Amino acid sequence: MKIKPTNTEIAEIDMTPMIDIVFQLITFFMVINNFDQNEADERVALPRDQLARTPEVVRKDAFVLNFGFDRDNKGQLLSETPYLFFGDERLSIDQVRPRLQQESQFYTAIGTSLEDVTVEIRADASVQSGMIQELIQMCQEDGIQFQRFALKATQQSVP
Amino acid sequence: MKLRNRTGNRKIDVNMTPMIDVVFQLLIFFLCTLKVIEPEGDFDISMPLGAPSAASVTEADLPPFKVRMESDAAGDLQTLFFNGTSLGGGDQALAKLNSEVFRAITALQAIGKEQQEKQEVEIDPDYNLHYRYIINAIGACSGRLGPNDIPVRYISRIKFAPRREP
Repeated sequence: MKIKPTNTEIAEIDMTPMIDIVFQLITFFMVINNFDQNEADERVALPRDQLARTPEVVRKDAFVLNFGFDRDNKGQLLSETPYLFFGDERLSIDQVRPRLQQESQFYTAIGTSLEDVTVEIRADASVQSGMIQELIQMCQEDGIQFQRFALKATQQSVP
Repeated sequence: MKLRNRTGNRKIDVNMTPMIDVVFQLLIFFLCTLKVIEPEGDFDISMPLGAPSAASVTEADLPPFKVRMESDAAGDLQTLFFNGTSLGGGDQALAKLNSEVFRAITALQAIGKEQQEKQEVEIDPDYNLHYRYIINAIGACSGRLGPNDIPVRYISRIKFAPRREP
């Protein structure tokens, strides 16, 4: 019996459609990824509200205050005292005054009017509201004098 | 002179393998760094300087709407008062607050549209009330969701009353 020799020629695959799709995917993920929200701290579980909308006018300067609790990986509270988070640093509300003064001086030094700076408060849903009032009050003290405030919340989707 | 025409119709084979390698690396990078973040919104608080005292003079001609929020020991909303009238507690109170503000605003519109823009709400919570109720009350005062998810605005000037001691 005669056996046919197997064809050893390499089959050429057309890569073009695959590369097209892969580029589409890359573009999609690049767009979806928002690099903007670097200042959003995961330790803060924001309250939710339907009416919370992104501001219509883009703010010139915003200074974000993250006010939340120490949490473990699962989101459980580690302590009852809320802290203000500045990156790795955490300060209790009594310790934050010098930091606010520093920020205020910084904006004055670079020539930005404090009227144009919005203090965006990202506070945890379980923080006592008296502390938020205290924080706002502190931001308005002599030597700090921030004037604009915004309270952050997660946009709740309508059921 | 003799012109060479050898390169004319010859197909050039480009080696795609390194490019595909890199492209897959990129794809995996973006897949891994993808973080699903819910969109955030905010509420503006109008707290002019020198206004921590209750008797501060503001732009509004009429006194602010007063929203008093009393909390229980656990920090939950116990009773909500709108201009001194009790609206009960819980989520129902917030829904009632929304309709009360709407009624008050409609009455104001009879005087003039400007009045509505100038009108303020003063929120006066107990010290240990959880912050989420403040946000919900601000939401209830600032408007409601109309058709197609477009918010209908009631009041945009919201401020806090002086802090109550714990």
